[in-house]
Amino acid sequence: VSDALTIFRGILGSEAAALATDSTVDAATPYDAARFEMVFASAGRRLGITPIGGHTSITDERGRSWRIDAWGRDEVGRAFLLVAAIARVPSVDHVAWIDGCYRAGALRERTALLRALPLLPEPGRFLGTALDACRASTQPVFEAIACENPYPADHFPDASFAQLAMKAVFTGVALARILGLVSRHTPELARMADDYAAERRAAGRDVPADLTLLTTP
Amino acid sequence: MKLCDPHIHMSSRTTADYEAMAAAGIAVVIEPAFWLGQPRTHVGTFEDYFGSLLGWEPYRASQFGVRHFCTLALNPKEANDERIADGVLALLPRYLAKDGVVAVGEIGYDEQTPAEDRRFAEQLELARRFELPALVHTPHRDKKRGTERSLAVVREAGFPEERVLIDHNNEETLPLVLATGCWAGHSIYPNSKMDEPRMAALVQRYGSERIIINSAADWGISDPLKVPKTVTAMRTAGIDDTTIETIAWRNPIAFFAQSGRLTLDDAPTEHAASFEGNSVRRG
Repeated sequence: VSDALTIFRGILGSEAAALATDSTVDAATPYDAARFEMVFASAGRRLGITPIGGHTSITDERGRSWRIDAWGRDEVGRAFLLVAAIARVPSVDHVAWIDGCYRAGALRERTALLRALPLLPEPGRFLGTALDACRASTQPVFEAIACENPYPADHFPDASFAQLAMKAVFTGVALARILGLVSRHTPELARMADDYAAERRAAGRDVPADLTLLTTP
Repeated sequence: MKLCDPHIHMSSRTTADYEAMAAAGIAVVIEPAFWLGQPRTHVGTFEDYFGSLLGWEPYRASQFGVRHFCTLALNPKEANDERIADGVLALLPRYLAKDGVVAVGEIGYDEQTPAEDRRFAEQLELARRFELPALVHTPHRDKKRGTERSLAVVREAGFPEERVLIDHNNEETLPLVLATGCWAGHSIYPNSKMDEPRMAALVQRYGSERIIINSAADWGISDPLKVPKTVTAMRTAGIDDTTIETIAWRNPIAFFAQSGRLTLDDAPTEHAASFEGNSVRRG
């Protein structure tokens, strides 16, 4: 996680220190929740939403890397704020605090939070928020948890992971974007994919080419 | 000509409306928080409503190439419900800080009660604190008096008039607003408020400075295409294109850009339609 903060600081440049000070997440300042909320909310107009691009990736404490080049600068800033702020919030409040930030979040606050979930301490505690995001019809929110994010493969129960994969198919998301898909494949998910392919054929519709990643060989 | 509908309650409209609006040239919409046709009974429903105006609705709009912004407030009607008013006022600071919020509104008067006085003043202070413009609704009943009172509240608060949009004007109230530094909105409606030929006549008489038009379309009898229809009516009346563009695009953008949060450029919309599988498009 300290690596993540270092990477975020590198991307944000001089803005990182200013964000940390203004939001009171730096160790020098007494933590002020209202100031944090204000800076977290206004990160979009402060940093812009341009994707950071390049081949930027991030590594968690287990040494796994995944790409974050599709994240906007605002999302990097917000992920930085969350990872830094959670150290200032009592552990017993972490789950409620994260869920509160998600529920009160505008669209891009929510996507940033979901992308930051695997970088938070003991991320399995935030499963409820992640599952809620998978039910969203707001496609960027769904993709923030489902795509280029190790969280679902790490923490979702089989049934929820299968729903995520099928929703990706259903909403036109390339399955290659779901991390850990192979490791979490189950016979039940294969059956769902088989049934979906049959349903499409019966309706005279095309079957997504990458559905073969899920269907029974 | 690009158009802006700076007052429309898209949450009550369909995707067919979005398609028709985009086809008619509407590139930007601003959705003020208002009431939902029947009173809400829990503060928590406002959290979900504000969340929807900052998440789901901008996403829906983006699928049709329309940029969506919102204004947030406790509306004048529900300002009278003391069971929720304090709670909603307490919520507002967290939400007013957010990127897509371009004003505090709709505030103002409905029945012109003491409770409405209080919430109007409190929310003008919030607008000042968050450096946001204010969108002021004027009442259906006793409109002229309500408009005079609204202008007096703004003046007494020392709130900068160029950051106030007084909405739903008619022939009686427009001169009152133009005599101040406030901007004047007009809601073009099928049966009430203002209609297209009357609006064209007002423009011929008063010009375009600080004049704004909107559809105020919601879940009632209303028409989300009233801005483009009024553009047509103004053309028919012989009003020049520069004046029309000022009223239907430049003025509303200039007013809400005072928030510093109306970010418009030629870049693709934030979450532009990218695939047919999307749930809004798919139906």
